[in-house]
Amino acid sequence: MRLGPDAQRRIAVVLADVFGEPIGVARDIAKFLDGYLQRVPARAALGLRVGVWAVTWLPFALIGVPLPADALSPSARARYIAHWTHSRHYLLREAFYLLKAVALMGWSAHPAVRARLDVGPLAVTRDRAST
Amino acid sequence: MSHGKDTDAADFVVVGSGAGGAPAALALAQAGRDVIVLEEGPEVREQDRGQGAAESLLRLFRDNGTQVAMGRSVIPVLQGRCVGGTTVVNGAIVWRLPEDAYERAFGSIGAKDAIPLAALEERMDRIERDLSVAPAPERLLGGNGSLMKRGSEKLGWEGHAIRRNVLDCQGSGRCMEACPTKRKQSMEVTYLPRAVALGARIRADHEVRTIDMSASRAVGVTGVRGDGSPFRVAARLGVILAASAIQSPCILRRSGIGPREHVGSHFRLHPGTAVAGVYRDPVRLWEGATQSYEVDEFRRDGFKMEVVGLPVELAGVRLPGMGDAFQRAIADYPNMAVWGVQVRAEAEGTVSPASGRADLRYTPERADMETMRRGVRRLAEMHFAAGAVRVYPGVHGGPDVLESPDDLGKMDDLPLDPRCWSLISSHVFSTCRMAADERAGVVDFNGAVHGTRGLWVLDASALPTNLGVNPQHTIMALSSLLTERIA
Repeated sequence: MRLGPDAQRRIAVVLADVFGEPIGVARDIAKFLDGYLQRVPARAALGLRVGVWAVTWLPFALIGVPLPADALSPSARARYIAHWTHSRHYLLREAFYLLKAVALMGWSAHPAVRARLDVGPLAVTRDRAST
Repeated sequence: MSHGKDTDAADFVVVGSGAGGAPAALALAQAGRDVIVLEEGPEVREQDRGQGAAESLLRLFRDNGTQVAMGRSVIPVLQGRCVGGTTVVNGAIVWRLPEDAYERAFGSIGAKDAIPLAALEERMDRIERDLSVAPAPERLLGGNGSLMKRGSEKLGWEGHAIRRNVLDCQGSGRCMEACPTKRKQSMEVTYLPRAVALGARIRADHEVRTIDMSASRAVGVTGVRGDGSPFRVAARLGVILAASAIQSPCILRRSGIGPREHVGSHFRLHPGTAVAGVYRDPVRLWEGATQSYEVDEFRRDGFKMEVVGLPVELAGVRLPGMGDAFQRAIADYPNMAVWGVQVRAEAEGTVSPASGRADLRYTPERADMETMRRGVRRLAEMHFAAGAVRVYPGVHGGPDVLESPDDLGKMDDLPLDPRCWSLISSHVFSTCRMAADERAGVVDFNGAVHGTRGLWVLDASALPTNLGVNPQHTIMALSSLLTERIA
């Protein structure tokens, strides 16, 4: 299962708002999501892909604005994302939580993020491992 | 690791290479038996070690880290799927089975004569010598462990450095990514090589699907390799299932073996969650032992607390806020301590085979959630005692953040609906539980499946109940003890 270029572009706009990161970092996170979808079992990939679709395309259902999430104004998008994260409906909250959890793995792998947080390299190098 | 000669028969076939399978393979090999160990997952290569949380989940965990138990809420259930099993990706915690847990598990089913505590302790002594078990030294407590120590001492709660199976730990904080320096004495670097040296053959990427039976005797196994090709291995003397409390019942169910009302039933967990505290001084979660200190003051009340060196991506998922608020919260990560609580839950669920996976059904009982709530309350209290300036409980419907000990009362009103919590478990039990006869369980006091010959279950699924402590040590001791009788 894949996350096509258009879907990546749209979800990157949302992720940039969620994590407060520049759009370039968010695009890399969306690319990570695409790679992740290709490596996990079909059932999990389908769940995540549906989650990405829903977060992209449900502004009308949740805040009554007939636009995809990436086309919302920043304030409307913030209100829209808050609907997901604070929803009374477990499935909505959980879907967003799942997306955030996977996206965070791509976020934390980003060199700019790791440098900013000063948390060291993502992976050990073989030289270090052999000490 | 040498795989030895590729034949299709052995005296014993051991299914699974983790805490249950590896000691069984070693005990059989030491007794001079011809053994083949079949492991569904891959071998752990040098380049698989210490590659970060995402790569570790994708390469070394069951279902690439996506396995969940479904019920009223979704609970991730983490298990290793590689040569060495979960011992490769756990926190290296070695807990001797306490007497009260022994009584609850084995005393309650009348198995104390068949499985004396002294016999288990004798095996535990040996295992501890074999795996270089010792308390985490002061230098490896890290900021996370040192703060829990400070908080528990201030409150007068019983706590101690975690006893770990690590030899000359380097404190890289990557236990759950497969130790990058191979200092963790997990099965792929200890018991399995020893078994191979005695002639055992390890076959990675071999998923056993069914047990072959002839006149109620197990005579072999069939399955598929990682490349999709089928295989069969004949067992001249017997088959030992040690594929975990999730896979072992699935294999029995697919094979139509064992009392149907018990195989895959009585599925128990230690559901847990974590609470983060932010401190004035750097904590640096990524330094020191991944899990170095624990507090067992409340173990007899049903929960146990331990530090968890979560990487930033896993710590971040629990933080509230987005955009600038998320950035402000995550900027605290270097100053963050993360402590977990795990509950000896009373709830029982089920495990059954589904297409290409296991179907896990589980919902904590209300009493379990009450215990969970008490546990996170205690964690928050301990954070403040240790000097935290704020605490993130991470429970939907509760406060996003606690700013002072005066806020602790808010924890008493946390909702008990599991859908409001981010629960997780890595300890699974009892799906082929031990019992005197097949009216109450799947295996007898020797681990043999009731109504069969030459078939044993020697992993956490055979444990009569959950233990309330980290189970690797008990699983290994029980497997060693019972395999010595089989061999």
